[in-house]
Order: sequence, then structure tokens, then C-alpha cells
Amino acid sequence: MFKTAFGRQFFASVVSVVALSSAAQADDVFKVGISAGLTGYAATVDRAWSDGVQTAVDTLNAKGGIMGRKLEVVVEDNRSNPQEAVTVYRKMVSSDEVNLFASGCVSAGNAAAAPMVAKAEIPMILCSILPKDAAWAFTTLPPAGFEIEKRFEYLRDKTDIRKVGVLHDPTPYALLQKDVAQKVAATYGIEVVSVEAYKQDDADLSVQLSKMQAAGAGAVMKIGLGGTTLTAAKNLKQLGSPMLLLTSLEDLAVFKPVAEVLGDKFFFVASPSQVYEVYPDGGLKTAIGEFLEPWRAKFGDRDPNWASRGWDSIMLAAKAIEAGQSFEGSAIRDNLEKITGFQGTTGSYDMSAEKHQGISTNPFVVAQIIEGKVRIAQ
Amino acid sequence: MTSSPSTTLPEARSAVQTTRLPLATAAVWAVSAAIVGYALIFGGYAATIISFALIYAVFVSGLNVFMGLTAQVSFGQSAFAAIGGYSSAVLTTTYAWPPLAGMSAGLVFSLLAAWAIGFPTLRLKGHYLAMATLAIGLITYEIAVEWESVTQGYLGISGIPPLGIGPFEAVSDRQILVVLSVVVLVIAFAVKRIQHSRLGRSFAAVAGSEEAAATLGINVARTKLVSFLLAAGLASISGSLFVHVVGYVSPEVFGLHMVILAFSMVYIGGLGTVAGPLIGALIVSILPEVFRGMKDSQDLAYGIALILILIYAPKGIAGVAGAFDARRAA
Repeated sequence: MFKTAFGRQFFASVVSVVALSSAAQADDVFKVGISAGLTGYAATVDRAWSDGVQTAVDTLNAKGGIMGRKLEVVVEDNRSNPQEAVTVYRKMVSSDEVNLFASGCVSAGNAAAAPMVAKAEIPMILCSILPKDAAWAFTTLPPAGFEIEKRFEYLRDKTDIRKVGVLHDPTPYALLQKDVAQKVAATYGIEVVSVEAYKQDDADLSVQLSKMQAAGAGAVMKIGLGGTTLTAAKNLKQLGSPMLLLTSLEDLAVFKPVAEVLGDKFFFVASPSQVYEVYPDGGLKTAIGEFLEPWRAKFGDRDPNWASRGWDSIMLAAKAIEAGQSFEGSAIRDNLEKITGFQGTTGSYDMSAEKHQGISTNPFVVAQIIEGKVRIAQ
Repeated sequence: MTSSPSTTLPEARSAVQTTRLPLATAAVWAVSAAIVGYALIFGGYAATIISFALIYAVFVSGLNVFMGLTAQVSFGQSAFAAIGGYSSAVLTTTYAWPPLAGMSAGLVFSLLAAWAIGFPTLRLKGHYLAMATLAIGLITYEIAVEWESVTQGYLGISGIPPLGIGPFEAVSDRQILVVLSVVVLVIAFAVKRIQHSRLGRSFAAVAGSEEAAATLGINVARTKLVSFLLAAGLASISGSLFVHVVGYVSPEVFGLHMVILAFSMVYIGGLGTVAGPLIGALIVSILPEVFRGMKDSQDLAYGIALILILIYAPKGIAGVAGAFDARRAA
């Protein structure tokens, strides 16, 4: 092919330069891929998660990166759709050559792409529930029971209500919570007298709420995100119902109009970052403070809940990389499994080979919005 | 339905007249082959996009038989893709059936469902048929969500085995692409044969005028039912292919989004043409990726591109190619 020595040398030089420059490029930055539902049903949550990841990356980069290596975020919109998620994951694996995934809350998308990501030996730290084959996947999501247990605790300790209705949407996390509610209610001395489902785009929940009231429920345990919380509140008021409304974790922007409708009959599960100002001092509050400083500098009083978990995903990765002194995918995964007692913004993480859902102590509180201010329910 | 854009049947007309080589149509096939070839060579991300496009080409081929050749409208073909996909997923994961057996069972279930649904609904015409089929798609979606004991609802079913026969499995990007390419070619060949068969002529007659077709002695209801069954069968195969390629299925895959995408593909490619479903699926799948770098403007650019194609090629790309060949041959 190359008949002269010059030709061979020239070819070898070109190959070497190309190889070296691509190696140098690969070594320059540590790429974090985010498959997020920036549009579609998960948009509110996943945009916040994505911004939280970016805030963590910016903060680490300002300190010189991880072990001197800067980080770069590659974010792709999966449109909250599993097929689109597979496509964007594939793009980030083969074209962008990301080193780690810190992906959003679209459980179906993460589950669909998980085998392919595992084959590429890239660790995933997720906002969603874990896929079935979770060898390479970890999650910042607290166990489904935590939100339920906190509400049951409140009802048992602070009220006389012993009968509740469960109102849930059909998403995977909501279904898991619904199952937990039915399973553990009795241990709190509470009876689930009615379980009703709704769709995220339902414009009226009066039928479900009326059934619960007729069954003798004193409170509605609502499980699910979105505008249906306000719908439920308005329906309760229209029905003149005495039932309390206790909802699951959500963006505070959604809760404010609900509180205006129901006042002190409205309670919600809050993460520590949502009640930072009134949260007791300690390691958790310190960790949240470290996150809130750059977050508020950039986003003001925007709800920090989902973003704080995005922040945690990067800090967990940084911890694993530093512990293993390696940026290799398998080393990061192995060291993520060894993380114990790591103080994140959502709680303390304890991982192991068998346990990739790290939050082990319940960090949540039941909160209310009174006179426009968020406070822990007494 | 007495008239429709599909009654022009460009390829049918051109085939009668052609004495010269249909170069423009050949070019459409060549471009499609080049795109698939590119994905085969480079693999990775391109292979994933083209694999999905080929799966959609199977689905759209079925829609094309019903809409393009027979001039009926169905918004509910995703229902049969869901039946095929979920049958494959459940039978291979829960009952450890081999993928081919799962796909075959899905095909049988889809055909039975299509027969049961088509028998009464195909007596409807025009907008009524369209609304009835839309309802079928929505009902199937709801069943996929609510029948949790079988479908696992929004959690979805994972761990679905890859395509394969016996010990041979299509696991790598290139193996999957080869299998899908063969499937698409076989289906295109079959559609071409159907188009020029007695059955295809019955489809064309029904497409032109149901009353005139009945006068000619064609059993209109049966012809429409056969067309519907063919479309349902191909939709079922595409659903099964999807779940075995991705290894996961959840209800969102078979939502209204699938129907909208398939309609875009069939119109961009060319209604009533053989090459249309393939080139339409490839273009509609590739365009968003071309504009991905534009981030928030991606959808805007994608929409403008689709509109421009439809303005300058109202019969679709393969339709325009067929018309060009017909003019050369005249």
C-alpha cells in the first residue's frame, strides 16, 4: 500500500496523532450522561433533576473536578418515552462515549435501556425505581414505603383517624406505594377502607372521593404527581368533605394553590430540602446547605427536592471514584456498592452488592403550608 | 368511503406502462439500502435508529395495505402491535417459550382479535370507521395498563430474550439489523406480489369505489376484512420484533404516539407504494436525530422538514419517484 519509507512514516504519524489526540480528548473530561424526560409527563421532575446534576458538576469543576479531571454533562431528552430513551442512551454510549449515567425519573425508559448500558459496563445512578437487572444501576430514590409510613405515623400519633382511603395513579412508583400502604396499615392501627385509581389527566375525582367518604375514611392518602392534587382538593371542598388530604412528595409550586383551597386540612410528605429552614440541625441539614448555596444562587427559590437528588447522584459518583482512585466503569460500580454512611441531601446512603437503593433511614417529614409558609406539621 | 388519495396507486399504473427501467424508484431503494448499509458498517447509535426504523417499516407496510391499497382508515393498528408485543413478552418471559413461538402465538392472537373487531367495524365507513379503530387502540392501551397481573402495567416487562431460532440469536447491532432487513425485504416482496394479484386488484377496486366493486362481483366486506387482517398481522409482527430487539415492553410503546409516527411515515414515504413504508420510516426516524443538536428547536425543525417534504412531494417520496418513472415511460 505504501511503497516508500516516507509514505509508511507519514501514515504511522497520522495514525499516532489521531490516536493520541482522541485518547487525550477521552482523558480530558469525565462525561456524565443524562437521559431525562425534558418534555412529556416527567418534564417538571426531570428538568429539576437535570439542573441538580448540572449544579453538582459545576460545583465540582469549580474545585478542579474529581481527582483533577473535569466533568461534562451530556443531556438528552427522552420525551418520557421508553423507545426514545433507548435511542438517546445509545447515542450517549456510542457517540458521546459517556462514562457514567445520572438519569432521570422515567422508570420505563431506564428499564428499557438498562441491559444495553450494562453491556457497555457504564454505571447508572438513577432518579427512578431500579430496573429488573440492576447490576449496573443504583438509585437515589427512597424506598416506596417511606412516604407511606410517614403519613401513617402522623395519623397515628397526631390524629384520631383510623380509617383511610388510598387514591393512586397507575405509575410504577405509585403502585409500589399503594401495595405498601395496604400491607403496613395494620401495623399502625389503621385500616385502608378504600383503594381507588385515577389517571394523571383526570379532571374530576369526585366519584373516587365520594366512595372513600362513604366507606368511612377520615383521610385520603393520595399517591401520584401533577395537577390532580389540586383537582382532589377542589373536589373535597365541593363535596364539603371533612376528610384530610395527605399527598405524596411533589414540587412545592404544585402544593401552594392546594393549600389555598384546603388550608389546614392539607398535608404533604416533604423531603428535608423542602423544609430546610425548619429542619433540625445535623449532618443532613449541613449536606443540604452545601447544595442549596449554589442552587439558590442559580435558581432562586425554585423547589430543590428533585434537584437535590440529582446533586446526590454526582456526589455519590465522586465518592466512588475517589475511593477507588479510578474512572473505570467497573471500578466505579464496585466502589458505589461499598459506600456506607454517605450523607446526601435526601438522607444517608448505605449501598452494598445486594442493595443498590441506598437510602436506608426515612428522611421525610409531614408538612403543611400555613399562611404561605412551609412548616413541619405538628 | 368512495374516494381517497390512494386510488391513484402510482406503482400499479407505472407497472403497466413501464418498458424502461424505473430508475427513480430504484433510486429510492438504493438510498434506503445505503442508509441501512451505513448503519451496518458503523453500528452503534446509527444501528439503533435504523433498527427502530425497520421495525416501523413493518408496521407501516401493514398500514399501507389497509390505507394505501384499500383506501380505508385505521387509527387503531397500535392495538395489534401491542397484542403481538405483549404475547411475545409474556410467553417468552413467563412461560419460557422460544421467541419464534411467542411471535407466532402473538400473530394468531392478533389475527383473531382483528377478525372479531373487523367483522362488525368494517361495515362502517369513513370517519365512523376511523373513530371505531381509534377506540380500539385506546382500549388496548388501557388494557395493557390495567391488566397488571399479566402486563405488569407501567412497570413493564423486562428480560425479554433476543430474536433467534434455536441456538442462533441476533444479539449484536449488526445481527439485529440483518434480521430486520431480511424481514422488511420479504414483506416488501409479499406486498408487491399482493398488489399485482387478484386480491390486490380487489383492494384497488374497493379503494376506487365500494359500490362499483360490488357491482363487479367483489365481496367488499370480505375484501376489507382481508386487508384489515393483513395489516393487523404485520402490526403484530412489528410489535413482537420491537420487544425482542429492545428486551423490554411497557404500554407507552403502543400509545397514540406510535399511530401518529406511523401516519407520518406512510404519508412521507408514499401511500400505496411498496418502497414508501421503508423510505418513510427511515426519513421520519432519522430526521429528529439530524436536528437533535438544535435542542429546544429540534421539534420545530423536524416539523418544518416534514411539512416541506409534504409540500414538495405530496404523494410521498416513493409516490413522486413512481410518477417520475411513469412520465419517463410514457
